[in-house]
Amino acid sequence: MPGNRDNEVQFGETLTRRGHLVRSAITSGPGLLWLTLFLLVPLLAMVGISFLTRGMYGQIQWPPTLENYRRLIGFGSFGFDPLYPFLFLRSLGLGALTTVLSVLAGFPLAFFVATLPGRLKTVAVTLVVVPLWTNLLVRTYAWQILLAPEGWLSQLAATLRMVPPGTPLYPGPFAVALGMLCDFLPFMVLPLYASLEKLDWSIVDAAADLGASPVQSLWHALLPQVRPGLIAGSLLVFLPATAQFVIPDLLGGAKTALLGSAIQQQFGPSRDWPFGCAIATSALLLVLAGIRLHARYRGRKGEAL
Amino acid sequence: MKRRSLPLWFTSAVLYLFLYAPIAVVVLYSFNAARFGAGWKGFTTKWYGALLADSQALAAAKTTLLLAVFSTAISTTLGTLLAYGLARYRFSGKKIAEQFLYLPVFVPDIVMAIALLLFFAWLRRWLEFFELGLFTMVLAHVTFQIPFVCIVVRSRLAELDPTIEEAARDLGANAWQTFRHVTLPMMVPGVVAGALLAFTLSLDDFIVSFFTSGPGSTTLPILIYSSVKRGVTPDINALSTLLLLASIVGTISVMLFQPAKTPKNLPS
Amino acid sequence: MKKTSTRSAARWLWISTVCFVFAHPVFADSSKLNLFIWSEYIDPQIVKQFEKEFHCKVTLDVYEDAESMLAKIQGGGVSLYDVVVPPDHLVPVMVKLKLLAALRHENIPNLKNLDEKFAGPPYDRANQFTVAYQWGTVGVFLRKTDEQPVDPTWGLFFDRKLQPGSFVLIDSVRDSVGAALKYKGHSLNSTNLAQLKEARDLVLDAKRRSLGFEGSVGAKNRVLARSTRAAIVYSGEAVRAMAEDPGTTYFIPREGSQIWLDNLVVPAKAPHRDLAEKFINFILDARVGAQLSNFTLFATPNRAARQFIRPEVLNNPVIYPPPEIMAKLEFLEDLGAYTRLYDEIWTQIKAR
Repeated sequence: MPGNRDNEVQFGETLTRRGHLVRSAITSGPGLLWLTLFLLVPLLAMVGISFLTRGMYGQIQWPPTLENYRRLIGFGSFGFDPLYPFLFLRSLGLGALTTVLSVLAGFPLAFFVATLPGRLKTVAVTLVVVPLWTNLLVRTYAWQILLAPEGWLSQLAATLRMVPPGTPLYPGPFAVALGMLCDFLPFMVLPLYASLEKLDWSIVDAAADLGASPVQSLWHALLPQVRPGLIAGSLLVFLPATAQFVIPDLLGGAKTALLGSAIQQQFGPSRDWPFGCAIATSALLLVLAGIRLHARYRGRKGEAL
Repeated sequence: MKRRSLPLWFTSAVLYLFLYAPIAVVVLYSFNAARFGAGWKGFTTKWYGALLADSQALAAAKTTLLLAVFSTAISTTLGTLLAYGLARYRFSGKKIAEQFLYLPVFVPDIVMAIALLLFFAWLRRWLEFFELGLFTMVLAHVTFQIPFVCIVVRSRLAELDPTIEEAARDLGANAWQTFRHVTLPMMVPGVVAGALLAFTLSLDDFIVSFFTSGPGSTTLPILIYSSVKRGVTPDINALSTLLLLASIVGTISVMLFQPAKTPKNLPS
Repeated sequence: MKKTSTRSAARWLWISTVCFVFAHPVFADSSKLNLFIWSEYIDPQIVKQFEKEFHCKVTLDVYEDAESMLAKIQGGGVSLYDVVVPPDHLVPVMVKLKLLAALRHENIPNLKNLDEKFAGPPYDRANQFTVAYQWGTVGVFLRKTDEQPVDPTWGLFFDRKLQPGSFVLIDSVRDSVGAALKYKGHSLNSTNLAQLKEARDLVLDAKRRSLGFEGSVGAKNRVLARSTRAAIVYSGEAVRAMAEDPGTTYFIPREGSQIWLDNLVVPAKAPHRDLAEKFINFILDARVGAQLSNFTLFATPNRAARQFIRPEVLNNPVIYPPPEIMAKLEFLEDLGAYTRLYDEIWTQIKAR
């Protein structure tokens, strides 16, 4: 709301603009300062270093160069090889797959929880939240045990001919997908549940009364109301899933490089910090673009997250 | 349209099972007598005993706990103040600040980790104080904890009834007194929830800790990761079970501290 | 009552801040030694003995591959660790990056115990920065079956037709690419683009048929756990595993392989330099050196220690290969600017 808000009564007191500024500095100041110092500045430094050169022995050196970004696009020592764009696409693909799987699995679960009576509902929600806050590493290596070649799950899959006999479920793409779904499912369920909670069933009932089939009511009456939750959940799943490193590393046998492991490799064995920063900067830009898109969508719809 | 039907119950049961399968496996296998492999070789509690003798594990546990406590203390204070400031006061550029606040939630932790690594390396050139270790890890953890604390506290603040604060002001309290005696006590459940959340986040963090840790400041997740890389030994299962327990207790406590949807002591 | 709770809260905050500040490494006590070493590479008893004799506390941090170790040292570990154990080919890099402190020989009288073959290696002729620790080889670790013995060749990994079952490759660029280079009869230190491309394609193909990459210790554990049949490991790992499980075996492929020498070094800004040199001297002691090799089951460069090493260890051809095998072993060298080629190959291997 534009206009002079000086001397407006809020929470029992009036404050001038200066008063607001001073109070903000005392309260929001420290937190924002901390974040500026320990988040914004390092990220800017990271972007800056991506334009520097790697010394012969792995140091960071002047002069500034675009070499890292050229290499990112694909101009390497062995000729043109769009390895990193491919890597990005693969990571985006994994993110997308995880999101789709989370929606498919998350919707029924969120629906189930939302339609439970009172106290059971709280219990059900808590049960969904609890795994979320347990250690990711622990849950991931547990899948190593569950999907081990001599484990019964692998044997079951082999007998069901879901995989060629002798191929273990772990390590492999199936294990990675399973691990990702297991980790990100709660992130999708919670926003979906929040949306379903506020659902206006009368609209769905009205659609049915007017002769719509169950599928039609679902699509036209239910889904549009759930959309904000769906979008929020997708964002919470897609962006982190794209940059996920631990799960593909532990369940994929360290065979497949993705965005996260590519960055880690440059700061580990390859000791090419400038190049690692270039990859990370690109990942950062991706994330910022995603947030911007979401903000613009929210702005249009005018709804809260 | 049937609201709750058998297929729905069944699917949900399967999904819950799916979510809890890894946790169950780890707990189960912490009692497995087999040293290698996934076969079950009998029930034993010796791995828990072995943990107590493992100085590395104990040191990691101590580091993890110290890290969580220190970082939670700092981030809860900063985050609570931040939430209050954003909810009550205005300043130019506030919208940008709010968007900026959400950055750590979405930025991949590996990007944040290496940015911090670089920053500390650069600071080290002038101030030896920034050697990698518990200190740098606390700084890193606080950075990703603040937004989460802020979100939780802010949602609690939004549910508070402003008329109570207005009444306090009308009765003659100044801003500080109102905050101290009226607003803060009402905020406490949110602050506690935020603190517990920050604590759990710190306990479970791996990537950021991995990149900002130094010698002797290994945390439990880092220890578990190196063990997993080398081939999980059963005492790690025992360790993980204990860690899971801590996280579960923390999460349930957070849920218990979540306020009811409507404030109880008000005429509706 | 609210006032006192505020005051006690403030007091508590103050105390914890003070504690926190003093927990900082700057204030760490001086009788500590920070050791950064390969996993499973030192006898815990030796560490305890050193702690008792020198009244100090030793912290042990481990790594699984050499390049990550170097990354950690470069990224700040140079002023955090007191003793590090790099392999031979990384020492020149560390010297050029000024990451190493010169060793003061007057503090290390036991230097004389070293075998002449290993004292003053090509990369450090006067033992200015390094002291040999253990040496060993890279080879194939395999579970035996009742079928006829396998052909001792790198082709087990790189030739589809010779694949012995499931296998893992080693998660280290020089070791894996080196194996492929050797398979094709090239040098481990090749910088020839065509040869490297060939090696890259071999490893890539092998990766697709493999169960993934593991460090030496992890790979050894997987073979023992029967979750894979073959792996590339370092000799000591294999020997320890064979003692635990006689159904396994280790060999050096006929095309040749890598011999390596690990070294004790002191980082340039080590916080406990004197204690570090005492530690190095301690390891060089004849009895301690023997105890070390009897534990790690790697080969010792310590001539004086040989008399205390168990005879079955001394006569084990895996630990001390016979001359005809030694002739086929090659040391890794630092490749300077060409390291970037290997980095690119490694990324390509991991990414496709």
